[in-house]
This record gives sequence, structure tokens and C-alpha cells, in this order.
Amino acid sequence: MALFQEADGDPRVALDRLADVLTYYGAVGDAAAELAFGFSLRKAAFARSIAVALELDASILDAVAIAGIMHAVGALGNPALVRENDLPERFAMMERWDIPAAGARVCAAIAALPERCADIVRWQSEAWDGTGFPDQLRWNGIPVPSVALALADRLVRAHEPEEALASITEEAGRSFAPAHARAFMLWFHRTGAEVEPGAFPRAALVSELTDPGDLLLDIADRIDRHLGVPGRARNVLRLAEASARALACSPAEIEALRIAALTFGAGELGDGFESTLDPLVRLGLERRAERARAGARLLENLPALSAAAPLVAARAEWFDGTGKPAGLGRDAIPIGARILATAIAYDAIDIDTRARPAARRATAGERLDGASGTHFDPRVVTAVLDAAKAHA
Amino acid sequence: MIELHERTRRISPTRIHEILLRYGAKSLVDPFMGLPTHLNYLKRHGIAVHGGDVLEWFVRVGEGIVVNDLTILRDHEVAEIVEMIPGRIYALDLFKAWEGVFFTEEQCVYLGVWFDNVRNLRSDGQTGLAILGLWRVFCYWLQKAQEPDEMPDLPPSELAWYYIRQTERWVASNMRRNTVRQSDVMQTIGRQRADALFLAPPPRNALHHADPRIWMWEAWWQGNPYFTLEHAYRDTLFGARSNDPAAYQRSIAGILSEAADYPLLIVATNESRLGELEPIVRNARTKVECYAPNDSEIYLIATA
Repeated sequence: MALFQEADGDPRVALDRLADVLTYYGAVGDAAAELAFGFSLRKAAFARSIAVALELDASILDAVAIAGIMHAVGALGNPALVRENDLPERFAMMERWDIPAAGARVCAAIAALPERCADIVRWQSEAWDGTGFPDQLRWNGIPVPSVALALADRLVRAHEPEEALASITEEAGRSFAPAHARAFMLWFHRTGAEVEPGAFPRAALVSELTDPGDLLLDIADRIDRHLGVPGRARNVLRLAEASARALACSPAEIEALRIAALTFGAGELGDGFESTLDPLVRLGLERRAERARAGARLLENLPALSAAAPLVAARAEWFDGTGKPAGLGRDAIPIGARILATAIAYDAIDIDTRARPAARRATAGERLDGASGTHFDPRVVTAVLDAAKAHA
Repeated sequence: MIELHERTRRISPTRIHEILLRYGAKSLVDPFMGLPTHLNYLKRHGIAVHGGDVLEWFVRVGEGIVVNDLTILRDHEVAEIVEMIPGRIYALDLFKAWEGVFFTEEQCVYLGVWFDNVRNLRSDGQTGLAILGLWRVFCYWLQKAQEPDEMPDLPPSELAWYYIRQTERWVASNMRRNTVRQSDVMQTIGRQRADALFLAPPPRNALHHADPRIWMWEAWWQGNPYFTLEHAYRDTLFGARSNDPAAYQRSIAGILSEAADYPLLIVATNESRLGELEPIVRNARTKVECYAPNDSEIYLIATA
């Protein structure tokens, strides 16, 4: 879809956008897998450096780095991690074993990625002795690029680099081949396990094959399914875009708003899901603001997406200045954030009202009207309700 | 010292599962199953699986992780496997022939103890799990004999405990009937029906290049350190009579002919063997698709 403004035929712009969307995808995967922010970027940098130590061909290093970024995208939608799916511990463990294979399928579906990327992701959790997952490959059946990813993973997960070194050498012959453990040890002593995060290896991408807008939409759909609110981002996008046009927002503002509508849900991934409380009540506001900040953080360092970060961050602000996290009011809240917050609330109430008609509650329009002037900007409420009516 | 193989056959169950999903197959027969970890994966994902192999220890493991739906080992049962039980008489010199050649004296004693202990477990499922766990210890020792300074020294019972516990993590049910059988490929194909047949035929003369980690464990299970694969394969399709290329191709063609009723046939091969297998498969089936995700994994997929 035409999510971004025209690139005026400059292929570098398309490439940069795709690289940023993929980096964002990696961060979303981290959040879904309940890993720390920045995990995938660190893993990618380590994996690339370790791959050199494992004497891998230079032609595959970019694929290893990209696989490092995409390592956890399979966590989105994993039954052990999706919202309100309380599996017994044993079943949850087995479901988590499938994350690498699901990630491989995601990578294989992104035509712009190097072909080998999917298999590197697929076999990143295999163990030398055959006790890894999902394929239980053993010995030299495990491709070395995936071993680089496994070693990097151990390093990023460790509290201290020395802890990773100790565990890898301790597990030589079990999780890792003795030769790989030895190569890792040499690498560790040579570099001190200090590697600067590199830029996304754009040269390995074939940007014409994947539209970044379509990819972002696909990510949003997967996030929504993971959170148990399928189609939410698309609804919010439609309402927000129509409202922004009615309020005569600039093309740049509309582009930022589109991105924000597709990315705000990412902040709800991980251990603390969005409160299921009524979006119009103050209860849970702190939590919503926290999730808004988390969502914005995923976008901040990505030039193609960063314009949306302030909108996502301010979606828990109230028009009367009593919201969170900054307590901004009226025009101090970006217009995009005001539209986003109203569209999200409308969508949530509308779904709830339609799902429980017997509750005889006020319609979404009536309830939104009631919050106009306090929670929401009255102009925006009118625009969102008009957009909703037009769509209906 | 024994040479361990540089190359390992790669069977990727996630890939096989993707192929089965694409063609809507819900059950699968694998007459060359080998170590059936891939069947365990497919089972966990709802496919009814049926495996067969000539080597008995593969079949025993299959009873642990393919047929077995719920049996695992409690702590005291693991303890009864990994250490000598007071009062039980052990043939401690059963594997003395390996002493000083492949293993230390202590390791050979443990092999003798485990040989007896696994035969005293309460169910086939437990026996299968124990065999798989102990096999991993065996592989660790062979690897350590190659690289003594690179791998930590771990007490045999501790290592055995660790691996048996690792192994039983894979026990799961798919609410379907799953089977394994010790039989030749023709028997497995002929006596079992399923939506798909998965074939990863051994290369010509495979028994002469078999990985010692595989055939030595059959020797352990048989309690015969002088066991050879020639003995096990003697009466099979891939025995001594398929040493020449023409006989080998006839054997494969015979299998494909026997498998004519299977709606979906998946033949796993690699780049080096593709030229040999593809013409035989195309000769046997009219609709054949070649799916090659990488050089080491090529699938010839034949449909009805």
C-alpha cells in the first residue's frame, strides 16, 4: 500500500525505508519474545563478528547480520506468548521451540531478504548434540551461519560477557561443537566481546521486491493477532487517515499518522499487555502511557519511521492536560496524537459495544462525545465520528 | 581412535512439515527413519507418523519419542538407569573389547551397567527414552576421545542424567496412532498406508560409510562389541547385493514401484545425489516437482 510518500524515483529512499521497517520488525520480535530492547541489533552485530571468526565466506556475512535482526520475528503469534493463552508450562515450552521455524517462514515470505536468511533463522537454536530445536539437527548437519547466531544469542543473553564465555566452553561438545567453542574463545579474547552495532546491511536487500508499506501493514496485522485484536490497526488507520484529511493535516502529518496507526500496538507486546479497562476511564492511564512510551521507543532511531514516535508517545495524553506521561494539553499535543488517541478509543469502544449488545450501553459515538473537551479534542472527535459514519 | 564423520545427513522436520501442509497430508510413513527425532516433531504437530528401520535401537528410540504419548521417567527411575543397583549382577566386562580402543575402563563399565539397567525398565517408552539419552552420552565420549582438551570432563552418571532429562522433554501426544517397526523398507511400505511417504534412501554402499556413533550404539544395544553393519543389513534391499550402481538403482526403483499407491511421495536428497535419484523418481511418477531450498536439502515431490 502507498503508506509512505513518493520517493521521487530515488532507489536509496526505498532501500532506507525497507531497512528501517525490517529493523523495526526485529525490535517487534524482541518485544513479543519478551527480550530487552535492542537485543536483535546487538545479536546481529555479534553474529556478524563471530561469523568472521568461524571463517565464513564474506558473501554470507550480511545474511547472518540480517538473520540476527530477524531472529525473533517468529515469536509474534506464538501460542505460548499470545495474549490470554495460559498454556501449561510443558506445552508452552514446546510451542516456544517453534519460534525459529515460524521466523524462517516469515523471512522466506519477505522477498527482499537474502535467500539464506530464512534457514539461518530456522536453525539458530539447534544444539551440536541434537538436543536443540525445532529440528533437532546434530553435529555437522547444523549450518555454521546458524551457529554464529546461536553463539551471539548466548552472548547477548548473558549478564556479563565472561558468563557467556564460561557457559559456551562448558557446553563444548553438547550445545556447541568443540571447534566452534574454541573459535568463539579466540574471538572473545581478541575482541573482548566488544563490537560496535553496524548499520543495516542494505546492500544485501533487493528493495524492489518488497514494499515497506505492505510489510509494515503485515507486521501490524501480526501484532494485532498476537494481542487478540485482529484488524485493529487497519480500522484505526482508516479512521485516523480520513479524520486527518478532514482536519486539513499536511501530507507529512498524514504520513506520520499512518505509520503511528500501524505501529502503536507494538508497545503493548511483551510482559505488560494493554489494559483491558475501558479506554475512557482514567484507571490504567499510567499503564497506557508506559506502553505508549515503549511503542515510541521502537521507532525513535529509525529515520523512516521516527516521525510517528511523538504521536505514539503522546497517545495517552488528555486534551485537558491531565494525561500521561508529560501532561501535555490542547495544542501542545501533536494533532496526529490527538487523532490517533481518539481513533483508538473509538475502535475499542465500538468493538466492545458490538460484542455485547445486551449490555445496552451508549454507542461509541455517544461515549466519545461525552469525553469531548476533557479526554479528546472536540474537533477531532467530530472528525473521527464523521469518518466512522462515512465508513458505515 | 575412531574417525567421526565430517558430514551429517540433514533431515529437517520443519521443512517436511511445510511440504505436508502444502499438500494437505495428515499422515506419513518413513521406512528409512533412522533416529526418529523428525517423526517426533511431525507427531507433535498433529501428523500421524509411522516409521521403520532395520536397526533395532532406532526402533526402540521410536517407542520412546514417537509411539509413547505420556510416559516419562521419575527421578528414582533415572537413578536406576544411570548407576549400578545394589544386588543386581552386571556383566561389567561385556564391552571390554572397546576398552583402550575407544573408551576408558570406567566408560566400558558404565556401558555394561547401562546395558543391563535399560532392560529392567517398566515400559517400552521408558526404555526408548533411556536409550536415546544414553546414546547422547556415548556420542559425547566418542567426541571427547577426539578432542580431549576441548570438552569438559563430566561424570558419566551426571551426563547420563542430564541427557535422559533432555530427552523426555520431547514426549508429547497428538491424539493419533503412531507406530514404529523394525523391518525392511519393503515391509514398512507394504504394511502401512498413509497420505505421504517420505524416503531418504541411504547412498550406495552406505553401510561401509556409516557413522560409528550409529552402528556402535546398535552394537551396544545388542550387547555385542563385535557387531558390524554388514550383519544387520545382510538381508535387506541395501545389503551387499546393491554394491554396484545398477543394482542400487534397481533397488530404488523397486521401492518406488511398491510405493505407487501413496498419493504423495517425498524423496529427500542432496545436490551430489540428485542426478542419480531424479531420473528414477521421474521414471516412476509422472508429476514430480523438485524443491531445493539449499544444496544439502533437495526434495523430489511426486503427486498422484
